[in-house]
Amino acid sequence: MIGAGIKRGTAELAILSVLEEGPLHGYEMARRIEEQTKGALRFTLAALYPMLYRMEQRGWIRGAWETGPSGRRKRCYRLTPAGKKKLSPLRKEWEELFGALKRLTKVAHA
Amino acid sequence: MRDWQELVRQRLSGLALAAPEKDEVHAELAAHLEESYEVFCKEGLPEKEAVHRTFEQVADWQDLQRRIFIAKRSGHPMKKRLHQLWIPGFFTLVLSMVFLMTLQGLGFQARVVSWSGPRTTLLYLPWLLSLPFFGALGAYLSSRAGGSRRTVLLASTFPALALTGAFLSMFPIGFAMERIIGRRVDFSIVATTLLRDGIGWLLVPGVALSGAEYSSTFCLADEHRRKARRLVSEAKDA
Repeated sequence: MIGAGIKRGTAELAILSVLEEGPLHGYEMARRIEEQTKGALRFTLAALYPMLYRMEQRGWIRGAWETGPSGRRKRCYRLTPAGKKKLSPLRKEWEELFGALKRLTKVAHA
Repeated sequence: MRDWQELVRQRLSGLALAAPEKDEVHAELAAHLEESYEVFCKEGLPEKEAVHRTFEQVADWQDLQRRIFIAKRSGHPMKKRLHQLWIPGFFTLVLSMVFLMTLQGLGFQARVVSWSGPRTTLLYLPWLLSLPFFGALGAYLSSRAGGSRRTVLLASTFPALALTGAFLSMFPIGFAMERIIGRRVDFSIVATTLLRDGIGWLLVPGVALSGAEYSSTFCLADEHRRKARRLVSEAKDA
């Protein structure tokens, strides 16, 4: 299980990554992240929404009310051009970090 | 049927956001809780357990309220200032100045109005009549970008403020010119002119523009209230 500090750092990347696949509302986003990370990243309501609102304020994502097939209104989020631009370097940064950690642990075990 | 919106509203009643924004947060969180609850029920959990698991997602509502407030108030301050003040303000200024030049081009002249004996004020009535419209437009743009009451007022009265700045800069320029050309200027004439033009070009337009701000803010608040009511009723119907 991944620790809380790392989770916080990866949360933005996780949200941007799932939104890259298409617009989603909060609950669906949390479910997708949990499924795709096999439960390693789990967003509760309390963790998800402050993060979404902050990212929306930064202009990375944009939320809009939409009516679903069931007729229920939900606020769907989609990536903005700024969010798409942010995703690529963020992904690279985390890949570099995890690559470095991996190399470090291999050296330590050798 | 559980009223999730009401449950969220009770728990986040102290969320210090504008009413429409607060209603949107309540509606969104309520929709999330409702969906969680329904999924737990579909998974076969008894109702009591489903409710418990749903509310387990928020350990501390006060903390959530604080974090939502901080998140909503974050963002780039310079970008916000640009959209809430500078763009609406300059838009109002440019429109009012273009209209003024158009009136002058059409031959409409400023009227000198006498008050209290020899004292006079220069009033440009057709232009003054247009200012509430331009002020309301500036106020609307600023309000729509989430500007505070003070920012909305500044954006709507921006033409009067810019003219005041221009008038005030005339004093040092006047002194400098006096030194350069070596002529003494009769400051009683300057003071009378400034008073006359100050009222006609700054004070009265400022009042006209700020009056518009009040009406537009009222209309916008009403629009927000209607939108919030519609959202709440639609969420209930769904």
